[in-house]
Amino acid sequence: MSVEEQVREIVARITRVDKSIITRQSTFKEIKADSLDVVQALVAVEETFGIEIPDEEAQKFQNFGDFVSYVENRVAQKERV
Amino acid sequence: MSLEGKLALVTGGGRGIGRAIALKLASQGADIVIDFFRRREAAELTAKDIEALGVKAEIIRANVGDPAKIDEMFDVIGNKFGHLDILISNAASGVGRPITDIDVKAWEWTMDINVRACLLCAQRAAKLMEGRGGKIVSISSLGSRFVLPNYTVVGVSKAALEALTRYLAIELAPRGISVNAVAASAVETEALKFYFKEGLVKDSRQLTPVGRMVIPEDVANVVAFLCSEEAFMIRGQTIIVDGGTSIGLFALAGKGE
Repeated sequence: MSVEEQVREIVARITRVDKSIITRQSTFKEIKADSLDVVQALVAVEETFGIEIPDEEAQKFQNFGDFVSYVENRVAQKERV
Repeated sequence: MSLEGKLALVTGGGRGIGRAIALKLASQGADIVIDFFRRREAAELTAKDIEALGVKAEIIRANVGDPAKIDEMFDVIGNKFGHLDILISNAASGVGRPITDIDVKAWEWTMDINVRACLLCAQRAAKLMEGRGGKIVSISSLGSRFVLPNYTVVGVSKAALEALTRYLAIELAPRGISVNAVAASAVETEALKFYFKEGLVKDSRQLTPVGRMVIPEDVANVVAFLCSEEAFMIRGQTIIVDGGTSIGLFALAGKGE
């Protein structure tokens, strides 16, 4: 499963929405994710991929696509090391 | 009040009240372990500021809401230092919602971080304090005994934290460990900005008899006192730091004008 698909599944599970409605353009507000959902999604993604996503970075995410791109980059960096 | 040669762990020590406490204890000579969860940059900056005071600083990332992460954190402290003298259970989180909107997830998240973490940290800390005594201070808030809008989960968690503090104080006293809490009213921190945004608190400057809000250093000063031998006979208490806000009908009475 791709990074994007794994992140989508995590976000869908935490926010209890159908994953088919989460597109790269979806904002957290559109997915009805409150601040707790966002933190829990970040933690779950961190644990799944063994990365750290500081709030300073997470606050820059405008939508789900930004979140996925960040995770993809970090996973790729990790694989290079 | 010298804490030279002592080691203190401050959970949530990277910013806000925790940062002020970490810096205060460091200024008295204690080496500091800062636990942080979401803000690495803030924790690194605080560690740098602590080192500038001439003591050691260590940062550890751990979500204290997760028991496994607490264990990992104490394993690191145990392996690296082998002891601990001061535990400041400061890390807190919460969900600001009306009672009708509180779900199990919000309840558990808040309780796990604000209460259970203090118990689990105290258990591990007590072992590292074995034979040398120690101080534990938990950070509460006025919401433990007064009702604030949308503050139910946090307020209840803080009430439980204060009760836990009393039980810890009695059970750990024979081991030479003193345990107390400090409860502040709204403190000027980043977290407060969040609470403003969520409509949890209004600007409370008008409500404070002393004419200014509580700042993190006000809380840190009291914590440092509770960590000193001068506070030896204070056990299981919650010391309120609120500039007098909570003791009267000050706000209703119109500031005594």
